[in-house]
Amino acid sequence: MSEVETSPVARTHGVRDVEVRVWADAEQVPLLRSFAADIAMRMDFDLDAIEDLRMAVDEACSLLVRAAAADTALYAWFEPQEYGIRVRVQVDAERAQPPSADPMGWQILTALAASVTEDVEAVEGGHRIRVELLAVPGPAGVGPR
Amino acid sequence: MTESAKEDSGETKDAKDARDADRFRELAELALDDPRRATLRGDLVADHIDLARNLARKFDRRGDQLEDLVQVATIGLIKAVDRFEADRGNFYAFAIPTIMGELRRHFRDTGWAVRVPRQLKELHVTVAAGRNELSQKLGRAPKPSELAEHLGLTKEQVYEALVASAAKQGTSLDARLAEPSGDRFGYEDDRLAEVDNRRALGPLLAELPEREQKIIVLRFFRGLSQADIARRVGVSQMQVSRLLAKTLERLRAALGEDTLAG
Repeated sequence: MSEVETSPVARTHGVRDVEVRVWADAEQVPLLRSFAADIAMRMDFDLDAIEDLRMAVDEACSLLVRAAAADTALYAWFEPQEYGIRVRVQVDAERAQPPSADPMGWQILTALAASVTEDVEAVEGGHRIRVELLAVPGPAGVGPR
Repeated sequence: MTESAKEDSGETKDAKDARDADRFRELAELALDDPRRATLRGDLVADHIDLARNLARKFDRRGDQLEDLVQVATIGLIKAVDRFEADRGNFYAFAIPTIMGELRRHFRDTGWAVRVPRQLKELHVTVAAGRNELSQKLGRAPKPSELAEHLGLTKEQVYEALVASAAKQGTSLDARLAEPSGDRFGYEDDRLAEVDNRRALGPLLAELPEREQKIIVLRFFRGLSQADIARRVGVSQMQVSRLLAKTLERLRAALGEDTLAG
Protein backbone atom coordinates (compact mmCIF):
# COMPACT_ATOMS: atom_id res chain seq x y z
CA MET A 1 0.00 0.00 0.00
CA SER A 2 1.31 3.41 -0.83
CA GLU A 3 1.47 5.70 2.15
CA VAL A 4 0.23 9.15 1.42
CA GLU A 5 -0.14 12.04 3.81
CA THR A 6 -3.78 12.11 4.84
CA SER A 7 -5.94 13.61 7.52
CA PRO A 8 -5.39 12.25 11.06
CA VAL A 9 -8.79 10.51 11.14
CA ALA A 10 -8.16 8.54 7.99
CA ARG A 11 -4.68 7.61 9.11
CA THR A 12 -5.85 5.31 11.90
CA HIS A 13 -6.52 2.64 9.30
CA GLY A 14 -4.93 4.19 6.23
CA VAL A 15 -8.16 4.05 4.22
CA ARG A 16 -9.47 7.16 2.51
CA ASP A 17 -12.81 8.13 1.02
CA VAL A 18 -13.72 6.40 -2.22
CA GLU A 19 -16.24 7.52 -4.80
CA VAL A 20 -17.48 5.10 -7.48
CA ARG A 21 -19.86 5.58 -10.36
CA VAL A 22 -21.26 2.65 -12.34
CA TRP A 23 -24.25 2.02 -14.59
CA ALA A 24 -27.38 1.53 -12.53
CA ASP A 25 -27.56 -2.09 -13.56
CA ALA A 26 -27.81 -5.30 -11.52
CA GLU A 27 -24.64 -6.55 -13.17
CA GLN A 28 -22.62 -3.79 -11.54
CA VAL A 29 -23.79 -4.48 -8.00
CA PRO A 30 -21.18 -7.19 -7.25
CA LEU A 31 -18.47 -4.67 -8.06
CA LEU A 32 -19.71 -2.22 -5.41
CA ARG A 33 -20.23 -5.04 -2.95
CA SER A 34 -16.61 -6.08 -3.40
CA PHE A 35 -15.43 -2.49 -2.99
CA ALA A 36 -17.23 -2.26 0.33
CA ALA A 37 -15.89 -5.59 1.58
CA ASP A 38 -12.33 -4.73 0.58
CA ILE A 39 -12.44 -1.39 2.34
CA ALA A 40 -13.92 -2.94 5.48
CA MET A 41 -11.21 -5.60 5.40
CA ARG A 42 -8.52 -2.95 5.25
CA MET A 43 -10.20 -1.11 8.09
CA ASP A 44 -9.82 -4.34 10.08
CA PHE A 45 -13.53 -5.05 10.52
CA ASP A 46 -14.04 -8.53 11.90
CA LEU A 47 -14.92 -11.14 9.29
CA ASP A 48 -18.62 -11.29 10.21
CA ALA A 49 -18.89 -7.52 10.02
CA ILE A 50 -17.24 -7.61 6.59
CA GLU A 51 -19.81 -10.18 5.41
CA ASP A 52 -22.66 -8.13 6.86
CA LEU A 53 -21.46 -5.01 5.09
CA ARG A 54 -21.05 -6.91 1.83
CA MET A 55 -24.65 -8.09 2.02
CA ALA A 56 -25.95 -4.71 3.15
CA VAL A 57 -24.32 -2.90 0.24
CA ASP A 58 -25.62 -5.55 -2.12
CA GLU A 59 -29.12 -5.02 -0.78
CA ALA A 60 -28.96 -1.22 -0.83
CA CYS A 61 -27.63 -1.16 -4.39
CA SER A 62 -30.15 -3.76 -5.57
CA LEU A 63 -33.01 -1.70 -4.16
CA LEU A 64 -31.78 1.42 -5.94
CA VAL A 65 -30.96 -0.29 -9.22
CA ARG A 66 -34.53 -1.55 -9.39
CA ALA A 67 -35.82 1.99 -9.01
CA ALA A 68 -33.32 3.70 -11.30
CA ALA A 69 -34.33 5.25 -14.60
CA ALA A 70 -32.93 3.58 -17.73
CA ASP A 71 -29.35 4.44 -18.74
CA THR A 72 -28.53 6.32 -15.58
CA ALA A 73 -25.72 5.99 -13.09
CA LEU A 74 -25.48 4.53 -9.62
CA TYR A 75 -23.19 6.56 -7.39
CA ALA A 76 -21.55 5.14 -4.31
CA TRP A 77 -19.43 6.86 -1.68
CA PHE A 78 -17.50 4.86 0.84
CA GLU A 79 -16.43 7.05 3.72
CA PRO A 80 -14.32 5.52 6.48
CA GLN A 81 -15.01 7.11 9.84
CA GLU A 82 -13.35 6.75 13.18
CA TYR A 83 -16.08 4.39 14.40
CA GLY A 84 -17.00 2.55 11.20
CA ILE A 85 -17.77 3.17 7.57
CA ARG A 86 -20.50 5.27 6.03
CA VAL A 87 -21.79 4.12 2.65
CA ARG A 88 -23.99 6.39 0.57
CA VAL A 89 -25.60 5.20 -2.66
CA GLN A 90 -27.72 7.24 -5.01
CA VAL A 91 -29.69 6.91 -8.25
CA ASP A 92 -32.07 9.03 -10.25
CA ALA A 93 -35.51 7.53 -10.76
CA GLU A 94 -38.68 8.46 -12.54
CA ARG A 95 -40.88 7.66 -9.61
CA ALA A 96 -40.64 8.83 -6.02
CA GLN A 97 -41.02 5.40 -4.46
CA PRO A 98 -38.70 5.08 -1.44
CA PRO A 99 -36.51 1.95 -1.08
CA SER A 100 -38.38 0.97 2.09
CA ALA A 101 -41.38 0.19 -0.11
CA ASP A 102 -39.70 -3.18 -0.67
CA PRO A 103 -40.33 -4.61 2.80
CA MET A 104 -38.13 -7.66 2.52
CA GLY A 105 -35.17 -5.75 1.09
CA TRP A 106 -35.54 -3.01 3.66
CA GLN A 107 -35.82 -5.51 6.51
CA ILE A 108 -32.59 -7.19 5.40
CA LEU A 109 -30.82 -3.89 5.03
CA THR A 110 -31.79 -2.57 8.44
CA ALA A 111 -30.84 -5.85 10.07
CA LEU A 112 -27.38 -5.85 8.52
CA ALA A 113 -26.32 -2.24 9.03
CA ALA A 114 -25.94 -0.32 12.27
CA SER A 115 -28.19 2.39 10.89
CA VAL A 116 -29.92 3.08 7.59
CA THR A 117 -31.64 6.17 6.29
CA GLU A 118 -33.34 6.89 3.00
CA ASP A 119 -34.12 10.07 1.21
CA VAL A 120 -36.21 10.94 -1.85
CA GLU A 121 -35.74 14.36 -3.36
CA ALA A 122 -37.47 15.86 -6.38
CA VAL A 123 -34.97 16.93 -9.02
CA GLU A 124 -35.33 18.14 -12.56
CA GLY A 125 -36.95 15.39 -14.63
CA GLY A 126 -37.52 12.97 -11.79
CA HIS A 127 -36.46 12.02 -8.30
CA ARG A 128 -33.14 11.44 -6.61
CA ILE A 129 -33.20 8.46 -4.28
CA ARG A 130 -30.50 7.96 -1.68
CA VAL A 131 -29.72 5.32 0.88
CA GLU A 132 -27.14 5.94 3.54
CA LEU A 133 -25.94 3.21 5.82
CA LEU A 134 -23.47 3.01 8.62
CA ALA A 135 -21.59 -0.19 9.38
CA VAL A 136 -19.44 -0.83 12.43
CA PRO A 137 -16.47 -3.17 12.76
CA GLY A 138 -18.08 -5.79 15.00
CA PRO A 139 -17.94 -6.48 18.75
CA ALA A 140 -14.18 -6.01 18.99
CA GLY A 141 -14.24 -2.44 17.69
CA VAL A 142 -11.52 -0.77 15.66
CA GLY A 143 -8.22 -0.72 17.48
CA PRO A 144 -5.89 2.20 16.85
CA ARG A 145 -3.16 0.54 14.82
CA MET B 1 -23.35 -54.08 5.83
CA THR B 2 -24.96 -53.52 9.24
CA GLU B 3 -24.71 -57.25 9.82
CA SER B 4 -20.98 -57.36 9.35
CA ALA B 5 -20.51 -54.20 11.39
CA LYS B 6 -22.28 -55.88 14.28
CA GLU B 7 -20.06 -58.93 13.99
CA ASP B 8 -16.99 -56.73 13.99
CA SER B 9 -17.89 -54.97 17.20
CA GLY B 10 -17.59 -58.25 19.08
CA GLU B 11 -14.12 -58.92 17.74
CA THR B 12 -10.93 -57.77 19.38
CA LYS B 13 -8.82 -55.35 17.39
CA ASP B 14 -6.14 -57.97 16.73
CA ALA B 15 -8.65 -60.53 15.54
CA LYS B 16 -10.17 -57.94 13.22
CA ASP B 17 -6.76 -56.97 11.88
CA ALA B 18 -5.89 -60.60 11.27
CA ARG B 19 -9.18 -61.20 9.48
CA ASP B 20 -8.62 -58.07 7.39
CA ALA B 21 -5.15 -59.28 6.45
CA ASP B 22 -6.60 -62.65 5.40
CA ARG B 23 -9.24 -61.00 3.32
CA PHE B 24 -6.76 -58.69 1.63
CA ARG B 25 -4.58 -61.68 0.77
CA GLU B 26 -7.62 -63.43 -0.64
CA LEU B 27 -8.48 -60.32 -2.68
CA ALA B 28 -4.97 -60.17 -4.11
CA GLU B 29 -5.21 -63.81 -5.23
CA LEU B 30 -8.56 -63.54 -6.98
CA ALA B 31 -8.50 -62.97 -10.72
CA LEU B 32 -9.59 -59.53 -11.92
CA ASP B 33 -12.75 -60.88 -13.54
CA ASP B 34 -13.69 -63.19 -10.67
CA PRO B 35 -17.19 -62.24 -9.43
CA ARG B 36 -16.12 -62.99 -5.85
CA ARG B 37 -13.57 -60.21 -6.19
CA ALA B 38 -16.19 -57.50 -6.54
CA THR B 39 -18.11 -58.83 -3.54
CA LEU B 40 -15.04 -59.06 -1.33
CA ARG B 41 -13.85 -55.62 -2.40
CA GLY B 42 -17.28 -54.19 -1.62
CA ASP B 43 -17.27 -55.84 1.80
CA LEU B 44 -13.83 -54.48 2.64
CA VAL B 45 -14.89 -50.96 1.67
CA ALA B 46 -18.16 -51.22 3.59
CA ASP B 47 -16.42 -52.54 6.71
CA HIS B 48 -14.13 -49.53 6.83
CA ILE B 49 -16.61 -46.86 5.85
CA ASP B 50 -16.62 -45.50 9.41
CA LEU B 51 -12.97 -44.66 9.02
CA ALA B 52 -13.71 -42.60 5.92
CA ARG B 53 -16.62 -40.91 7.68
CA ASN B 54 -14.49 -40.03 10.70
CA LEU B 55 -11.72 -38.55 8.64
CA ALA B 56 -14.19 -36.58 6.52
CA ARG B 57 -15.61 -35.07 9.70
CA LYS B 58 -12.23 -33.60 10.56
CA PHE B 59 -12.39 -31.46 7.45
CA ASP B 60 -16.01 -30.55 7.91
CA ARG B 61 -15.41 -27.11 9.38
CA ARG B 62 -13.90 -25.79 6.21
CA GLY B 63 -17.29 -24.98 4.82
CA ASP B 64 -18.01 -27.98 2.64
CA GLN B 65 -21.00 -30.20 3.03
CA LEU B 66 -20.17 -33.23 5.17
CA GLU B 67 -21.83 -35.63 2.74
CA ASP B 68 -19.63 -34.36 -0.09
CA LEU B 69 -16.57 -34.90 2.04
CA VAL B 70 -17.67 -38.41 2.99
CA GLN B 71 -17.88 -39.18 -0.72
CA VAL B 72 -14.37 -37.91 -1.30
CA ALA B 73 -13.10 -39.87 1.70
CA THR B 74 -14.84 -42.98 0.39
CA ILE B 75 -13.06 -42.65 -2.91
CA GLY B 76 -9.83 -42.51 -0.91
CA LEU B 77 -10.91 -45.63 0.97
CA ILE B 78 -11.64 -47.50 -2.27
CA LYS B 79 -8.21 -46.53 -3.57
CA ALA B 80 -6.68 -47.75 -0.32
CA VAL B 81 -8.48 -51.10 -0.58
CA ASP B 82 -7.31 -51.51 -4.17
CA ARG B 83 -3.71 -50.59 -3.51
CA PHE B 84 -3.10 -52.17 -0.12
CA GLU B 85 -0.71 -55.10 0.01
CA ALA B 86 -1.44 -57.33 2.99
CA ASP B 87 2.26 -58.08 3.52
CA ARG B 88 2.98 -54.44 4.14
CA GLY B 89 1.35 -54.51 7.57
CA ASN B 90 -1.75 -52.92 9.09
CA PHE B 91 -4.46 -51.69 6.70
CA TYR B 92 -5.25 -48.62 8.81
CA ALA B 93 -1.66 -47.40 8.65
CA PHE B 94 -2.02 -47.42 4.88
CA ALA B 95 -5.62 -46.29 4.53
CA ILE B 96 -5.50 -43.22 6.79
CA PRO B 97 -2.82 -41.33 4.83
CA THR B 98 -4.46 -42.40 1.57
CA ILE B 99 -7.85 -41.02 2.61
CA MET B 100 -6.35 -37.85 4.08
CA GLY B 101 -4.45 -37.38 0.84
CA GLU B 102 -7.66 -37.65 -1.13
CA LEU B 103 -9.39 -35.10 1.11
CA ARG B 104 -6.46 -32.68 0.92
CA ARG B 105 -6.36 -33.01 -2.84
CA HIS B 106 -10.07 -32.27 -2.91
CA PHE B 107 -9.49 -29.02 -1.03
CA ARG B 108 -6.48 -28.10 -3.07
CA ASP B 109 -7.63 -28.89 -6.58
CA THR B 110 -11.40 -28.82 -6.61
CA GLY B 111 -14.15 -26.75 -5.15
CA TRP B 112 -12.76 -23.67 -6.83
CA ALA B 113 -14.96 -22.15 -9.48
CA VAL B 114 -12.10 -19.99 -10.69
CA ARG B 115 -8.57 -21.20 -11.22
CA VAL B 116 -6.53 -19.84 -8.38
CA PRO B 117 -2.79 -20.44 -7.94
CA ARG B 118 -2.05 -23.38 -5.71
CA GLN B 119 -0.12 -21.27 -3.25
CA LEU B 120 -3.16 -19.08 -2.75
CA LYS B 121 -5.41 -22.10 -2.27
CA GLU B 122 -3.17 -23.37 0.48
CA LEU B 123 -3.15 -19.92 2.02
CA HIS B 124 -6.93 -19.96 1.91
CA VAL B 125 -7.08 -23.27 3.77
CA THR B 126 -4.67 -21.90 6.40
CA VAL B 127 -6.71 -18.73 6.85
CA ALA B 128 -10.01 -20.64 6.99
CA ALA B 129 -8.61 -22.92 9.69
CA GLY B 130 -7.23 -19.92 11.58
CA ARG B 131 -10.61 -18.23 11.36
CA ASN B 132 -12.28 -21.18 13.05
CA GLU B 133 -9.63 -21.47 15.74
CA LEU B 134 -9.74 -17.78 16.57
CA SER B 135 -13.55 -17.63 16.49
CA GLN B 136 -13.63 -20.30 19.18
CA LYS B 137 -10.96 -18.58 21.20
CA LEU B 138 -12.32 -15.04 20.98
CA GLY B 139 -16.02 -15.87 20.98
CA ARG B 140 -16.50 -13.64 17.92
CA ALA B 141 -15.23 -13.43 14.37
CA PRO B 142 -11.56 -12.46 14.17
CA LYS B 143 -10.27 -9.35 12.44
CA PRO B 144 -7.81 -9.68 9.57
CA SER B 145 -5.05 -8.22 11.76
CA GLU B 146 -5.71 -10.86 14.40
CA LEU B 147 -5.59 -13.61 11.79
CA ALA B 148 -2.29 -12.30 10.47
CA GLU B 149 -0.79 -12.27 13.94
CA HIS B 150 -2.16 -15.69 14.83
CA LEU B 151 -0.96 -17.34 11.64
CA GLY B 152 2.34 -15.49 11.34
CA LEU B 153 1.31 -13.98 8.00
CA THR B 154 1.42 -10.42 6.76
CA LYS B 155 -1.88 -8.55 6.59
CA GLU B 156 -1.56 -8.43 2.80
CA GLN B 157 -1.36 -12.23 2.70
CA VAL B 158 -4.52 -12.48 4.77
CA TYR B 159 -6.25 -9.98 2.48
CA GLU B 160 -5.23 -12.02 -0.55
CA ALA B 161 -6.57 -15.21 0.98
CA LEU B 162 -9.86 -13.55 1.95
CA VAL B 163 -10.35 -12.12 -1.51
CA ALA B 164 -9.48 -15.47 -3.07
CA SER B 165 -12.14 -17.17 -0.93
CA ALA B 166 -14.73 -15.20 -2.81
CA ALA B 167 -13.72 -17.06 -5.98
CA LYS B 168 -14.44 -20.41 -4.39
CA GLN B 169 -18.13 -20.38 -5.16
CA GLY B 170 -19.08 -19.01 -8.51
CA THR B 171 -22.42 -17.44 -9.18
CA SER B 172 -24.15 -18.01 -12.45
CA LEU B 173 -24.20 -14.97 -14.69
CA ASP B 174 -27.81 -15.81 -15.48
CA ALA B 175 -28.69 -15.67 -11.80
CA ARG B 176 -27.55 -12.08 -11.66
CA LEU B 177 -29.28 -11.11 -14.86
CA ALA B 178 -32.48 -12.67 -13.62
CA GLU B 179 -32.66 -10.06 -10.87
CA PRO B 180 -35.17 -7.43 -11.74
CA SER B 181 -33.16 -4.53 -13.09
CA GLY B 182 -35.70 -1.79 -13.26
CA ASP B 183 -37.48 -3.18 -16.30
CA ARG B 184 -40.82 -3.77 -14.70
CA PHE B 185 -43.62 -1.98 -16.46
CA GLY B 186 -46.52 -0.22 -14.87
CA TYR B 187 -47.17 0.17 -11.19
CA GLU B 188 -50.22 -0.59 -9.17
CA ASP B 189 -50.80 0.41 -5.62
CA ASP B 190 -47.48 0.80 -3.80
CA ARG B 191 -48.28 -1.60 -0.99
CA LEU B 192 -49.96 -4.28 -3.06
CA ALA B 193 -46.81 -6.36 -3.53
CA GLU B 194 -46.13 -6.11 0.16
CA VAL B 195 -49.38 -7.85 0.96
CA ASP B 196 -48.47 -10.71 -1.35
CA ASN B 197 -44.94 -10.93 -0.04
CA ARG B 198 -45.96 -10.89 3.57
CA ARG B 199 -48.56 -13.54 2.92
CA ALA B 200 -46.16 -15.61 0.86
CA LEU B 201 -43.18 -15.29 3.18
CA GLY B 202 -44.79 -17.17 6.08
CA PRO B 203 -45.35 -20.48 4.29
CA LEU B 204 -41.98 -20.13 2.52
CA LEU B 205 -40.21 -19.76 5.84
CA ALA B 206 -42.10 -22.76 7.15
CA GLU B 207 -40.92 -24.80 4.18
CA LEU B 208 -37.27 -24.16 4.93
CA PRO B 209 -35.24 -26.85 6.65
CA GLU B 210 -35.26 -26.37 10.42
CA ARG B 211 -31.66 -25.20 10.57
CA GLU B 212 -32.11 -22.54 7.87
CA GLN B 213 -35.31 -21.35 9.55
CA LYS B 214 -33.51 -20.96 12.82
CA ILE B 215 -30.63 -19.07 11.22
CA ILE B 216 -32.97 -16.64 9.48
CA VAL B 217 -34.94 -16.00 12.65
CA LEU B 218 -31.82 -15.50 14.77
CA ARG B 219 -30.25 -13.21 12.21
CA PHE B 220 -33.13 -11.01 11.11
CA PHE B 221 -35.63 -11.18 13.91
CA ARG B 222 -33.30 -11.31 16.89
CA GLY B 223 -30.35 -9.57 15.26
CA LEU B 224 -27.68 -11.99 16.48
CA SER B 225 -24.23 -11.93 14.89
CA GLN B 226 -23.09 -14.74 12.65
CA ALA B 227 -20.66 -15.83 15.36
CA ASP B 228 -23.46 -16.18 17.90
CA ILE B 229 -25.63 -18.05 15.43
CA ALA B 230 -22.79 -20.40 14.56
CA ARG B 231 -22.41 -21.25 18.23
CA ARG B 232 -26.12 -21.76 18.79
CA VAL B 233 -26.77 -23.82 15.70
CA GLY B 234 -23.52 -25.71 16.00
CA VAL B 235 -22.05 -25.07 12.56
CA SER B 236 -19.09 -22.98 11.43
CA GLN B 237 -19.44 -19.26 10.76
CA MET B 238 -18.58 -19.81 7.14
CA GLN B 239 -21.52 -22.16 6.90
CA VAL B 240 -23.84 -19.65 8.56
CA SER B 241 -22.77 -17.02 6.07
CA ARG B 242 -23.21 -19.42 3.18
CA LEU B 243 -26.59 -20.67 4.40
CA LEU B 244 -27.84 -17.13 4.93
CA ALA B 245 -26.91 -16.06 1.44
CA LYS B 246 -28.38 -19.21 -0.06
CA THR B 247 -31.61 -19.02 1.93
CA LEU B 248 -32.20 -15.36 1.12
CA GLU B 249 -31.66 -16.11 -2.53
CA ARG B 250 -34.11 -18.95 -2.29
CA LEU B 251 -36.76 -16.87 -0.53
CA ARG B 252 -36.27 -14.08 -2.98
CA ALA B 253 -36.57 -16.42 -5.94
CA ALA B 254 -39.73 -17.99 -4.54
CA LEU B 255 -41.26 -14.61 -3.80
CA GLY B 256 -40.33 -13.36 -7.25
CA GLU B 257 -42.10 -16.26 -8.90
CA ASP B 258 -45.16 -15.77 -6.75
CA THR B 259 -45.31 -12.13 -7.64
CA LEU B 260 -45.10 -12.93 -11.31
CA ALA B 261 -47.73 -15.64 -11.05
CA GLY B 262 -50.09 -13.30 -9.24
